[in-house]
Amino acid sequence: MLVIKGLKKSFGDKDVLRGLDLTVPAGSIFGFIGKNGAGKTTTMKAILGLMKADGGSITVNGEDVVYGQTLTNKYIGYLPDVPEFYGFMTAREYLAFSAGISEMNCDNLSARIEELLTLVGLGEEKHRIKGYSRGMKQRLGIAQALLSEPLLLICDEPTSALDPVGRKEILDILLSLKGKTTVLFSTHILADVERICTDVAFLDGGVITLQGSPAEIKKKYRSDEYCIETECASHMELIAKQFPNVKISGETEATFSLADTELFAVMEFAASNRIPLPKLQRLEPSLESLFLEVKEK
Amino acid sequence: MRSFISFTKKEWLFHMRSGKITVILLIFLLLGIMNPAIAKLTPWMLEAMSESLSEAGMTVSEVTVDAMTSWVQFFKNAPMGLIVFVLIEASIFTDEYRMGTMVMILTKGIKRYKVILAKASVMTVLWSGAYWLSFAVTYGYNSYFWDNSVAQSLIPSVVYWWLFGMLCTVLILFFSAIMKGTTSVLLGVGASVLFFYILTLFAKVKKFSPALLMDGNSLIYGAEDAEAYVPAVMVTSVLVLALTAASIPLFNKRQV
Repeated sequence: MLVIKGLKKSFGDKDVLRGLDLTVPAGSIFGFIGKNGAGKTTTMKAILGLMKADGGSITVNGEDVVYGQTLTNKYIGYLPDVPEFYGFMTAREYLAFSAGISEMNCDNLSARIEELLTLVGLGEEKHRIKGYSRGMKQRLGIAQALLSEPLLLICDEPTSALDPVGRKEILDILLSLKGKTTVLFSTHILADVERICTDVAFLDGGVITLQGSPAEIKKKYRSDEYCIETECASHMELIAKQFPNVKISGETEATFSLADTELFAVMEFAASNRIPLPKLQRLEPSLESLFLEVKEK
Repeated sequence: MRSFISFTKKEWLFHMRSGKITVILLIFLLLGIMNPAIAKLTPWMLEAMSESLSEAGMTVSEVTVDAMTSWVQFFKNAPMGLIVFVLIEASIFTDEYRMGTMVMILTKGIKRYKVILAKASVMTVLWSGAYWLSFAVTYGYNSYFWDNSVAQSLIPSVVYWWLFGMLCTVLILFFSAIMKGTTSVLLGVGASVLFFYILTLFAKVKKFSPALLMDGNSLIYGAEDAEAYVPAVMVTSVLVLALTAASIPLFNKRQV
């Protein structure tokens, strides 16, 4: 759906993008992760033809993106981090206006507008946009981005400015698009990515440092650490005495690494000493810890 | 074409709901009424001030007013209307840059030249409507009170002034395509007008300066022929077309 090859962009002496390569498969919810200032918005503006790149190429649905021209934008719906609308219009007027300027063909535009407003929870809203809260604007932003049934929806940090309730609402809407629309979703909130994304890419130092599905990435960087829990402190003391490399993290909790402690030896010791283990679990790395790990490397 | 019409409709809706149309039309209507009103009140005002004037050694003789007095006022007040118009319209692009609404529009796939032409058409209609409203009101009152035929080359003189206003409208467009803020646009328009005015101070180039078109009084008094303004009209017309055309590639290259 979206292919970026060798994208470069500098602002003065600062190289923001240094040959970024990125492929977004059709139908995916793609998390584009990077810290603030990493170049996520710059990349998105280049995809939209709003910012001139210093080098590289971008294709959307097989067509080249040309700076200053907006022909490939017919395939794209765009939701900026803080979407701004004409405050003098109502949501319905704005969506009808959006359909007009994008020359959208729709047999029943009114029905489509109502359908989208209902989807984003603004179906009953009759007031002008100037009175909307940030969350309402974000939801209207999604509605306008989806109006023309785009092949690719680009969301630039859609949840960063919202409270937890607003965040959940937006993520639920994006999740509901799974399989219907390809979503490129930039964020620095990794919990959001873990919740909804089928694919992720880490942007750091102007290049993609890691890309794949969250499961693949976690598998690749799978931890060899286990967490163990006993019912009482005395049981934990017995285990700690037998296995000196076990790290006690609480009265009844500890962790150990397969590098120095054998899993089956721990299980056999617990069984032979009749120590119940309510919990024995491999510690899965979070995307956040992976991001930090990759960044450090 | 549909995108152009939709964007133009949006501009009109904005001008109506923001009250800009009302303010502009009211000011030009007021100016249109003020021109004959000031002419009509001039004898009364001078009579009221005659005592203080005589104390200062000035004698007020009988004052005769006619349509000429009113048209002189028209050309004195027209710059005021144009300044108000420019002040109100200078933010037509820059407000969209500042608020971020332009980004939302351009990502919808509308071609950028349509945005330029839609805003240009709205400003043109608004300037023309307001200016000719002011003219019609003054003309109507003048016809009622006096006789408009005393003013020579009336139609060319008011058309020339309208053309100068069109140039200012296009200057807003041009500077909006390259500048970021409203103040920069206003400074650009102001500096251009000042430059045109300075040109009129040099005899050799005076006849080519668009600022010459503001001198309607010389035409209605017969001090100049309408033909004498033709070089300035030609230069102004070329500038209007050239600046509009130049705004398109400049806006295309702009990073929003």
